[in-house]
Amino acid sequence: MKTKVFLLFFIFLLALPLSCGKGRPSIYKKTKPFMDTLVTITVVAGSDEQANRTIDKAFSVIEQFGDKINFFSDKSELSAINRNAGATPVKVSPDTLGVIERALYISEKSNGAFDPTIGPEMNMWDFFKKIRPSDTAIKKKLSLINYRDIIVDHDRSTVLLRRKGMLMDLGGIAKGYAADLALANLKQNGIGAGIVAAAGDIRAFGLKPDGTLWNIGIKNPRQQSEADELIAKASLTNKAISTSGDYERYFIEDGRRYHHILDPKTGYPAGRCRSVTVISDSGIFADGFSTAVFVSGPEKGMELVREAGSDAVIIDKDGVIHTTPAVKGMVTFESGH
Amino acid sequence: MKAVIRNTTVADRLLFIFLIAASVAGIFISREAMPKGSDVIIEIGGKTAYTFALDTDRTFSVPGPLGVTIVEIKGRKVRVKEAHCHNRLCEKQGWVARGAIVCLPNRVVISVGGKADNTPKGIDAITG
Repeated sequence: MKTKVFLLFFIFLLALPLSCGKGRPSIYKKTKPFMDTLVTITVVAGSDEQANRTIDKAFSVIEQFGDKINFFSDKSELSAINRNAGATPVKVSPDTLGVIERALYISEKSNGAFDPTIGPEMNMWDFFKKIRPSDTAIKKKLSLINYRDIIVDHDRSTVLLRRKGMLMDLGGIAKGYAADLALANLKQNGIGAGIVAAAGDIRAFGLKPDGTLWNIGIKNPRQQSEADELIAKASLTNKAISTSGDYERYFIEDGRRYHHILDPKTGYPAGRCRSVTVISDSGIFADGFSTAVFVSGPEKGMELVREAGSDAVIIDKDGVIHTTPAVKGMVTFESGH
Repeated sequence: MKAVIRNTTVADRLLFIFLIAASVAGIFISREAMPKGSDVIIEIGGKTAYTFALDTDRTFSVPGPLGVTIVEIKGRKVRVKEAHCHNRLCEKQGWVARGAIVCLPNRVVISVGGKADNTPKGIDAITG
């Protein structure tokens, strides 16, 4: 009898160290470069193995999508569309069609404040080499900018740019779309909580292992030092967040800032805002939308945000902060802002 | 020795086996908890080009569309010693023990420890 008791106790003691430690969820994070930026995927997983496996699968989804819409690669579906502008419709895969349809939707909703046909204007700028086009060159290309000239045939899955010389650039919307694909893939593979961050386009879902919300920092558009990096912190989950800012790619010449968010109506960098952060339940109303709001300015931009049922933090050209009411419950601003 | 074993009860022997098992298990558990040897991963144009151990000092050059980037590993830290991109932000970043150094114009990304974690404390991600 005693032996049996000891045997049971012994088995129990043996099982104890084997069961504890394994399966306790932790946060894992990995970063890889895609689409000319760094993509970080954070997951709550039970093991190294699960985290690596699911993150790598999600990275693979992003890589494949990035290859299809790469503006700089001749092999991409996007380049095929651009090469055949004014000529033939190009058959594209579902994801490419999907991101173009999203771009068209936002273009329409924002009345052209976001316009993916901005390519010919974008091409003339080089923010690293500080090259900007002449006023004449800018005016000349304006006639090629019009999202209404993107012809999509849903039945045939084709896209045609109506006029020769048109160029579609999906940079303003692709990262967020990629984040959505990655998010869906993570969930499909059993991940219940995490973050997909493609540069500033972020999707947060689920809760951290301690049951708290994810903390997303919002960059200070006029950061002076490392201590000054963030202007606010958003605590949330199950949201898409996107920021468009005039401090990401820019140069200053003769006291004037030239940055990469061009106004499709003028061809010049939009000047009404320093940064716009949109917080939405859906990725559709995040990325291209933050660009549209940025270009539209604080008043018109805020209207767009309200119509979409989203929230936003808009920092206008003078540094004044405008927010939707619900932001107060989600976002805390750093002292001094 | 045989006398010792003969004098133990079944319970004694089971306890002894358990203690051995627990000690052995402890070695594996603590090994998992130790930080693994870190790598320095160099990616060019989005593809992994080189992997070096962080604990071996070396200087090497990485080709890119805008020219060669000279990278130095020393004392378990990495820096871009010399770059040929326009703004040389990657050089200005200095020595890095964890995280990443990126030269976007040259499409070079140097990741230390496989995790590019540059976020401040208490923040899970940064938008903007």
